[in-house]
Amino acid sequence: MDFGNFLAALTPLNLAVAMFGVVAGTLIGSIPGLTATMAVAVLVPISFSMAPETALILLGAIYTGAIYGGAYAAILLNTPGTPSAIATTFDGYPLAKRGKGDLAVAIACFSSVFGGLVGAFALLFLAPPLASVALAFGPVEYFWLSIFGLSLIASLSQGNLMMGLAGGALGMIMSTVGVAEISADIRLTFGSQTMISGFEVVGAMIGLYCIPVLIDMCSTGEKHLKITGDVAKMPILSAARITFNSKFNLIRSSIIGTLVGILPGAGGSVAGLVAYTEAKRTAKPHQRFGEGEPDGIIATESANNATVGGGFIPTLVLGIPGTPPDAVILGALMVQGVRTGPELFQSNGSIVYTFIYGLLIATVLMLPIGLIIGRYAYKSIVTIPKAVLVPTVGFMTIIGTYAIRNSISDVVVMLCLGVFGWLISKYGFSASPIVLGLILGPIAEQGFVQAWTIGAAVNNLPGMFFGRPLSQGIIAVTLISLILPWYLSRKKQIKADT
Amino acid sequence: MFIKKIAKHTAMLTMAAAVSMSASSTYADSVNYIIPFGPGGESDISARIQQSFYKEKFGDDLVISYKPGGGGAAGWASLNGLNGDGQTIMGVNLPHIVIKPAQKDVGFTTGSIHTFYMFHYTPDAIVVIADSPYQTLQDLIDDAKSKPGGVVMSGSGKASANNLAQIKFDKMADINTTYVSFKGTGASTAALLGEQVTAQWGYTTVGAKQGKAVRMLAVAMEARHPLFPDVPTFKELGYDMVGGAYRGIALPSSASAETVTTWSNRIGEINADPAFRKKMISGGFALLDVDASQMSEFMKERTMEYLLDARAAGLIK
Amino acid sequence: MIDSSAKAVAAAPTDRGSRLGSILVASLLIIIGFITLYDATSYTDVDSKVFPQTSAIALILFSTLAIGKQIVQPTAVSGIELGSWWRRIVLVSSMLLACALMPYTGLLIACVLTFTLGLIASMHDKWTNRKAIVYFLSGLSIIVCFYLLFKFALHVPLP
Repeated sequence: MDFGNFLAALTPLNLAVAMFGVVAGTLIGSIPGLTATMAVAVLVPISFSMAPETALILLGAIYTGAIYGGAYAAILLNTPGTPSAIATTFDGYPLAKRGKGDLAVAIACFSSVFGGLVGAFALLFLAPPLASVALAFGPVEYFWLSIFGLSLIASLSQGNLMMGLAGGALGMIMSTVGVAEISADIRLTFGSQTMISGFEVVGAMIGLYCIPVLIDMCSTGEKHLKITGDVAKMPILSAARITFNSKFNLIRSSIIGTLVGILPGAGGSVAGLVAYTEAKRTAKPHQRFGEGEPDGIIATESANNATVGGGFIPTLVLGIPGTPPDAVILGALMVQGVRTGPELFQSNGSIVYTFIYGLLIATVLMLPIGLIIGRYAYKSIVTIPKAVLVPTVGFMTIIGTYAIRNSISDVVVMLCLGVFGWLISKYGFSASPIVLGLILGPIAEQGFVQAWTIGAAVNNLPGMFFGRPLSQGIIAVTLISLILPWYLSRKKQIKADT
Repeated sequence: MFIKKIAKHTAMLTMAAAVSMSASSTYADSVNYIIPFGPGGESDISARIQQSFYKEKFGDDLVISYKPGGGGAAGWASLNGLNGDGQTIMGVNLPHIVIKPAQKDVGFTTGSIHTFYMFHYTPDAIVVIADSPYQTLQDLIDDAKSKPGGVVMSGSGKASANNLAQIKFDKMADINTTYVSFKGTGASTAALLGEQVTAQWGYTTVGAKQGKAVRMLAVAMEARHPLFPDVPTFKELGYDMVGGAYRGIALPSSASAETVTTWSNRIGEINADPAFRKKMISGGFALLDVDASQMSEFMKERTMEYLLDARAAGLIK
Repeated sequence: MIDSSAKAVAAAPTDRGSRLGSILVASLLIIIGFITLYDATSYTDVDSKVFPQTSAIALILFSTLAIGKQIVQPTAVSGIELGSWWRRIVLVSSMLLACALMPYTGLLIACVLTFTLGLIASMHDKWTNRKAIVYFLSGLSIIVCFYLLFKFALHVPLP
């Protein structure tokens, strides 16, 4: 880890590549249906002709840009551009509806950069010890982690608890449709060939979030988002002020994001969710989460960008991908003949460190680039006449959903889910619990079945599920997050009564 | 005013489109190589290695796209509906395309997949961590005998190559191990490294990737893998097990005999390239050269073998 | 997210029609739960049954409780607000139409058709010739650009 590697990251080529990666990634991530994985996969062939560290910088820059770019659609259209931006819709869209969309986008940019830096620094200094933390997470821990995630749904649905939980259960059932991973059964397809691949998460997400917004937008003549202030100028200073005043939230969320990113299989969506719930739980009395509270955006956007650096830890140290884009990057490295795993830091240390410095630089570059692109995105969405905006976004949902699995049936499913989601949203049910159930369902199921199999084999089922210290910790946090809000509000009520 | 804005945006978008078009070569020539899984797995990696050699040999772009779903079923069910002009090919995997249709109606039959080349396989291997008390295969067998069901082995997928290998070996060695299915080799390796399980039914590629962190007890090959001269084969130790997950490429059924031959030759040429072979072997893969002319014989043998094994394992009726 | 809908509906009256709608949706979910339980009886592997069954039971339970809550202590829900039905139907149908046409006409033509219909559905101001041409052309150019982007830059095999 010497200065030479840092200088190597600053060569004109590497800088250019970092910049291009961030721009391309942000643009691709902002289009619902195009994910970070796709963005990375498409540019892999270009990386073959580059030196390994340059290739890594390119792919890493795209990845981090894409995670940030998902915030645009989340804030301005209530549609996560990538699954990692799901939790950004909670406060991003309400803030935009109040006329402060530009502020929201700028806050998202600052938070993403900060979170990305924290993740990258963790990668730089703490990779080996954090990698062993990742390994300690076995099937049982993943199971309890997903239960924790589902309990967060409960805490988020305070107004309509039963409906939120029902939505989550529905999402989990939807996740079982198709060929079961853990056995050879085909479930809930009723003989149809189309549903054999199950509900595709990103398509379902677009359907449940975006289509209802489009239907509502076309049915009335009001303007989509209020505009307060000058559209041409971004409130950069106030965004920076707000973001950095929330130091505790910012740092805590970035750490949560890094840790979640380390766990293979958990991704930006889970990180954003956990960080958001923590921020909400520790909210000050005057803060109104869910109605456009900036701290909500700060929490989710810093957490999801921190997963980028965090995800590289098991990828580079263990050769096990932390997130799907990492899997693609691993493949690209293999082709280059770079062997990841324990050998990497020893034999190819200069490649790794040059890459990490490059990732840091790309993250820093994301600040000016992100603000510029963000301003452009905000301007376009807010000033385009609704009559053009609605069909344009409709077109993008079609082409975006198709592009995920090259399947027209995915698009049809997306539209049907959209109508269904619109209908039920009018009667108290919300999209997020369903989507979260869809994402967490497979993790819960696989974790449960695997843990059960192992526990039964060693004749210690209770010990398996409840006896491991890490699981006990997660169970405790779950119980606290379920009981504490109820307990505190009871205490307040009792105090108010006396 | 709105028109001016639209004009400006259109100009920018067109410029961007033009740049991106020129950045990639003419579309008419590029070939679509569909992987019926998500990115990052062994199928993807071996395809990527082929991709890196394809352009310099044949001038066109080989573009990899993914169509995951149903453990490969979604892709294979759609194969024969695709254009057979030779611009679209799809990866195929054994034992998947034999076992899946035998279990349930998955939208395709083994015979309907027209594979024209099998270019590699990843040999089955039993992998343990470096700290494991098992130094040799016999250690594992002895331990398994002393606690039936108590030796827990991770693997990728149910009714997959790993699962079949576990069942077959259990029968041969007269032991009873517990198999835990994970989603992909990455996840099953993570379980091994984190000591969530005792051992792993994996492939030689795991040994290659993890290097000194793991030890392979045996590999299912005819002769020892060049990368691992110290690891015995199952055959040497008295267990007749040779095999693993085979990977190849198929064309839609509407493709002409010429197209099939052309493609068979192309892939064969890449396979024969010493630099390609070196890359594959150093990744832990084992190469195979079954081209279109030998394919039906090869598939017949493998199908019989897999169906027999799967029936004996109770995976199919 | 959900809190904001709670705030919005606190202002809206607890209208019987909306409450009924809420109960109907919950009942639909209960039916889905039972369908899942029924399908689970056909699985061969015990492992595949556990999760769907548990989730289905949870779904039925929570939906029933939701119905109970609506009857006993109704929370106001927004219901379907005023808005033009024909526009909604045209928008959604135009997108479904694109899916139906895509295998035959290719994505480009199908989406242009969808865009046109969607444009008509979303246009609330008065039409002028100028607006019609500008809006349509701008949409067309966006569609073409994205089509090119996806097809050539991202190598997505579009129909």
